[in-house]
Amino acid sequence: MDAYSGLVSHSLPCPPFSSLPCLSFSRIHARNRFLGELEHLGHGGLNVSLRTTNLSGSLRGSSTFTRMALGSNVSEDTDDMFDDLFEKYGKVVFKRNDQKPPSAEVDDDAESLSFAVAVAKVASDVKAADIRVLFVKPLVYWTRFFIIATAFSRPQIDAIGTKIKDLAEKQYGKVASGDSKPNSWTLLDFGDVVVHIFLPQQRDLYNLEEFYANATAIELAF
Amino acid sequence: MIQPQTLLNVADNSGARELMCIRIIGASNRRYAHIGDVIVAVIKEAVPNMPLERSEVVRAVIVRTCKELKRDNGMIIRYDDNAAVVIDQEGNPKGTRVFGAIARELRQLNFTKIVSLAPEVL
Repeated sequence: MDAYSGLVSHSLPCPPFSSLPCLSFSRIHARNRFLGELEHLGHGGLNVSLRTTNLSGSLRGSSTFTRMALGSNVSEDTDDMFDDLFEKYGKVVFKRNDQKPPSAEVDDDAESLSFAVAVAKVASDVKAADIRVLFVKPLVYWTRFFIIATAFSRPQIDAIGTKIKDLAEKQYGKVASGDSKPNSWTLLDFGDVVVHIFLPQQRDLYNLEEFYANATAIELAF
Repeated sequence: MIQPQTLLNVADNSGARELMCIRIIGASNRRYAHIGDVIVAVIKEAVPNMPLERSEVVRAVIVRTCKELKRDNGMIIRYDDNAAVVIDQEGNPKGTRVFGAIARELRQLNFTKIVSLAPEVL
């Protein structure tokens, strides 16, 4: 459950999660396990039954409430218990072998950051307005940096896109996927860095900054 | 497995509620569409006072299917519903937010815009 709540830590109203695969199952499973643990702990009978009604009520409610309820009063008990159990019996039986050590992660972040700042600099050279560089890695796993910029005409979007692609290819050896033609929302996907170039109207409409409001913005020197 | 006449939920705030697939885009005689395919659909049910109306013909990208999606690493993803996101001719989504979990395959198929509007990517 923790991993799940971590995944949806955006600043948006909670979407309908009914379509999320296996979620309902895992909730029920977590509940059963949790109730079992409560009984195991030997709390007073009244206490246990009270908590049970609370929990089942929250499970029937919206998923936000469930998470909040689980996070507020229950997680401390269960976390401690899991920690104890893990210390007693736990050992890592399976680990993905493509995971990098933290130092390599930091290096990659720094490399992506330098690329993102270079891209933002190029965009500002071609007179893109209101350039924002967002560090979205804590929010989404699929990329590290978002660059959001406004251009005022399609030829300008084309110019910004071409310059960025040239820079990425020549200096960093990265090839963009995404839009090849200028579009009212042109997106260039470099893997770790995703560039969004909007016309002013579309920028207001989609309002990506608000959607990723929890991301840390990188200060730009220009 | 989406084919003509299949009803799909709409996973965005464009104003459509239910779509019916009427054509799969990409090949002349294709039988089924899967996650990441573009379809032509007709709006069967719409939210009142929104730009999209009932019986309008739109393009949409399939984002969730009840039919399992298999990955090379053996992972299988299956959703509870069939859902699509309405797009325009340029490929921009008509809604501004996408609801529910979507699969990362959409990014490989150049629908990164939809992925960046989604709350969760599996």
